Parts: sequence; structure tokens; C-alpha cells
Amino acid sequence: MANNPIIKICSLSKTFVGASDPAVRDVSLTIETSEIFGLLGPNGAGKTTTISILCGLFPPSSGSVTIDGMSLDGNIDHIKQIIGVVPQDIALYPMLTARENLNFYGHMYGLSGKPLKDKIELWLNNFGLAEAGNNRLSSYSGGMKRRLNLIAGILHDPKILFLDEPTVGVDVQSRAVIIDHLKELNKAGTTVIYTSHHMEEAELFCSRVAIIDNGNIIVEGTPKQLIENNEGCSNLESVFLNLTKRKLRD
Amino acid sequence: MIKLLAAIKKEALILLRDRVGLAVLFLMPMILIFVMTLIQDSAFKSLNERGIPIVFVDNDKDSLGISIAQGLLNSGMCTLNFSIDGKPATSEMLEKAVSDGKFLVGVVVPKGATETIRNNVKLLVNQTLGEIDSLQKQSDSIEISIFIDPITKKSFLTSVTSSLREFISEIKTKIMFQTFSEELSELIPDKKNTPKNAFAQSQIIKYKEVYASKQIGEIVPNAVQHNVPAWAIFAMFFIVLPLAGSMVKEKNEGSVLRLQTIPTSFLILINGKIVVYIFVCLIQLALMLSVGLFLLPMFGLPTLNFGNSFSGIIILSFATAFAATGYGVMMGTIASTEQQGAIMGSLSVLLFSAIGGVWVPTYVMPELMRNISIVSPLNWSLNGFYELFLRGGGIADVLGAALKLFLFFLLTMSVSIIVNKFKRKI
Repeated sequence: MANNPIIKICSLSKTFVGASDPAVRDVSLTIETSEIFGLLGPNGAGKTTTISILCGLFPPSSGSVTIDGMSLDGNIDHIKQIIGVVPQDIALYPMLTARENLNFYGHMYGLSGKPLKDKIELWLNNFGLAEAGNNRLSSYSGGMKRRLNLIAGILHDPKILFLDEPTVGVDVQSRAVIIDHLKELNKAGTTVIYTSHHMEEAELFCSRVAIIDNGNIIVEGTPKQLIENNEGCSNLESVFLNLTKRKLRD
Repeated sequence: MIKLLAAIKKEALILLRDRVGLAVLFLMPMILIFVMTLIQDSAFKSLNERGIPIVFVDNDKDSLGISIAQGLLNSGMCTLNFSIDGKPATSEMLEKAVSDGKFLVGVVVPKGATETIRNNVKLLVNQTLGEIDSLQKQSDSIEISIFIDPITKKSFLTSVTSSLREFISEIKTKIMFQTFSEELSELIPDKKNTPKNAFAQSQIIKYKEVYASKQIGEIVPNAVQHNVPAWAIFAMFFIVLPLAGSMVKEKNEGSVLRLQTIPTSFLILINGKIVVYIFVCLIQLALMLSVGLFLLPMFGLPTLNFGNSFSGIIILSFATAFAATGYGVMMGTIASTEQQGAIMGSLSVLLFSAIGGVWVPTYVMPELMRNISIVSPLNWSLNGFYELFLRGGGIADVLGAALKLFLFFLLTMSVSIIVNKFKRKI
């Protein structure tokens, strides 16, 4: 792995107002340029909180973050230009058509005119949504919404793409299309930071993963390394269960 | 600018596709204004134009009785009835009819009232001229009975009793003049110089009632002039519901979350909403005023008079639209759920409209409520429209109200920005 970090997280902690325990505690990570990094963990482990801090949604309680050589503190507007975010929720307008949604978000990223129109058509075609592009989102299936949710995050060709469970609740076909295109984006140079509960998907998709639980990073490495280092584990899911145990999480 | 235009387009498309929302925004206020004006016009007429119903029994059948009846009829504050259920009214019937609520007030002038006054005045004149012993006692005083329905407002009762006093005093003075004239004509040999019609000549003070309006011609305050601007302002402020609702929906659906990761200012997104909803407010106002201008006259109601200042209306309309939109943005920023937004928004607008004089004009409110009414932005706007529509004011007369409304907009926007920043610092 080339030593060219695009994200450096040092001793990151976050305690929400009114909460007794921190959601993220003393997390330190380095993510290299052009890797597909999986942040895995059970519900409430701190995955979304960590990604939200990296996207500038709220500030950390302590610690520091450097993205593409810029400190998060004070450079958030510039950092927002080079990142793309695909939230877990379908963060789109149900009353608008797919094209209208993408047109709006494209403009918000500063795109306009023919370049924006071309990008919209390119991605709608790639994700099999061109024909339904003039239909309102409210008429879309779950898989179509997920695909469009992803397109809205990559329209501006981000250098870093944050994906919060991008394949949750979709059928096998939609998942395959999403994963294939994410791999293509990564090949084109986009660094992908991804959270998921699908261990099998993460094992196949991620070049490196970190498992987080109770706000702490408990292990990180390539899927292969993690499987090898955990005795009796044949896949990432068994490693995950071995490390996070079987206790139910809320 | 491109971002702002995109935000405006997005907001407009969402609004245009929400048919129920559009009906609530435009159709409901028009129905409300129509119904409320019809209802209040009828109440307005019954109390002011037709007047309160009074039943009158004239047992006197002489100057006093005739004079009181004529005076009440001419006053225009009441409808005078001389019969009850088709039969000539008697004192007993009158008392029962008032207690049954058929009439608000009943007046009985006793038999011989004028004669009693005449005798007393003659006695007084003769005593003055020294023809009769000054110790001679006057006849008993007359008693005019006034029966009152307990629901009668004190102000109406005061008007009726003071009018009665005025008529009695007038007839007394008239009789006095006549008696003095007759007695003096006996004493003065040259009867040509005896003042003729002396009483009529004594009426040197006359009253003319004019509504204090700055415009040429006279606008009579009526239900349309009061209700159309009042309910139009109410409708404009009611955009708080769809506006706050759309903001909360964006938060809950995750759009806001995505937008927060985009290098776009919160203000650009909010400005998109503000532009669209200000436009909505202005269309609402235009529709409401059209109702007053075209629809209400079709139902026998007076036509809305816009006064003299079109520029004044434009300035005040924009100021009201800004204030209403700012308030909606603030509610949408504070509320965490759509229910919260709907409840906070609708209740606060209802409260502001109630204390602001939309439901009941502030001049009929108790002093405490009148003092409180000045905190309502709906009251500022309403007073501005009254200034234009009723008093014929111009731009200068509504600048104060417009300035207050713009300041209210700035205040609500500042609160929204602060709350938004605070919420993001969780």
C-alpha cells in the first residue's frame, strides 16, 4: 500500500450534549488515497458519527482530522467541495423527478449548463434510470431510490466518497450495479469510505476495513489479514462476531 | 445566483405539485374571507345599520311621546316597533316581550307626560314672572320606563338612555320657550315683535358626523373594509404551516443532511424558500383583495375600497409577506417534527391574529388586550391596511408599520440562523 494518506484521524472523540458516554472515543485512523475503506460495526457502534464528523456535519469534541492535507477545522467549505456523501436515508425530494433532483443537487455543487446535463444523463444511463428519469421519486422502487441517492453524491466527481450503508434494503441486482459502479469510481481515483452491515459485501468490496464497537476501533487491516489473525474465523462475518460478540445492540 | 435560482425552482416545483397544500394556501383563505365577511356583515348591520330593536309604547299621545319616537327613529341607532306580534304594544306586553328576548329595549312614555311637563313649566314661568306664589308646589315628576334585556350591551343602553334624556330635555325647553313666548306676548303690546319660532332659532349648535378619512369622498367603515385585509393578513401568516412543514420534512427525509455536506450556505437554501413563499403571500393577498372587489359585491356586500395609495399597498404587502415568511422559517427551524411545526405554527398565528384584531377589532377589546395587541405583527399590518383602506392614507402613513414588519423579518431570520447553528453544535 502506497503511503499517501488522504484522511488522517487523530484521537477523535465525540460526546453528544446530554449523553453520558461518548459516541466515538479516541479514534485514530489513516485512510490512503484511492483505497476502499470499510468502517464496520454493529448498530450504535459509532460508524455514522465518525463519518458525520468527517463530512463536517458536526464538530468533534476532541481530536483532529486532516482531509487531503487540510485540517477539518477552518477548511470545511473547501473540504466539502472534494467530498461526496451518500447518506443512509434517501436524501432526495419525493415530489421531484430524478432529473429535477439531480439538477438541483448539481447546481448546489456549483455545476450548471451542459456539463451538468451531460453528467446527469451519463449517470442515469449507467444506473439504468434514464427511462424513469422524468418520473417522480415517489413512484420509484427502493432499489431505484438507492441508485439515485448514490448518483446525487457523485455528480460532482468527488475525490473522496462517503457511503453510509449504500446498499441497505435493495435487491441483489441493484446491489450489484451499485457495487460495480463504486469499483469503477475507485479505479478512476476516488477514495471510498464505506459503512455496512453486510460483511460478505465488505469482504469482497473493501481493500481495508476497521471494526468499530462502543466508539472504539478494535481492529483494522485488510479483510484477508483480519481473517488470518483471528483463529477459527473463515470469513469477515465470523471475525466481526468474534470481536464484537453476539450481544444484541440497539 | 445559480444556486439561488436552483433553490427557488426546487421549492416552486415542490409547492406546485402539492395540490392539497395549494388548496390550503389559496382556496381555504378565500372561503374563510367570504364566510367571515358575510357573517360579520350581518352582525355589523344589525347593530349599526338597522340598529337595535326597540319596542315603544306611547301612552302620552302628545308632544313628548311623539318627540321621543321621532327622535329614536331619526337617530338611526334602532328599529322602533309600536306593536308586538301584530298587536298594538301595551306596557304589560312590552315588559313580557323584552323579558322573552324579542326586543333588547322597551320604552314606555306614561299618560299625561307632556301635560305634566307643560304644567310644571307654566308654573315655573309664572313664578319667575311673579304672577304666582313661588312656594306653590310643582306636579309630580314623570316617569319614563325603560325595560332592558340583560344581554344588551352597556354601550347601547347608554346610547338609548342618553338619547331619551336629550329628547326629554329638548321637549321641556321647547315647552318652556312656548310658554315664555305666550306669557310675554300678553305683556308686550306690540305683538309684531314677539319672537316667532323662538325655539327653532335657539338651535345654534349643530353636529355633522364625518369619518376622519384623508381621501376625497367618504369611505364608510363596513365589514368588507375591515374583514378583507384582516383575513388576507391571517392567510398570509398561515403560510407558516406549509413553510415550516416543508423545512421539517427536509430535515426528516435527510435532504438537509445532504445539503449540509455540500458547500452551500444555509442562507441560499432558505432564501429559495423565502422568495417562493413571498410570491405565494403576494398572490394570496391579490386573490383576497379580488374577493373583496369582485366576489363579495355579488352577494350584496359593499365593494372593497382600496383607498388612494397603490404604492402604499405594495410596500405594506411586501412587508407583510416578508414578516409572514420569516416567521414560517423560524418555526421550521425551531420545530423538530412536522407535528411540532403544525401545532406551534397554527396556534401562534391564531394567537397573534386574535390579539392583533383579526377576529375582533382591537377597538372593542378591553384596554389590557389593546395594549397587548401591539406585539402582534398581524396588528401592525392590519393597522397599515386600515390606514390605507379606511383613512385614505399614503406611503408615509404606512412606513412605520412596514418598517416594523421588516424588522420582525430580520429578527426571525436572526433567530433562525442562531437556532440552526446551535442545533448543529450538538
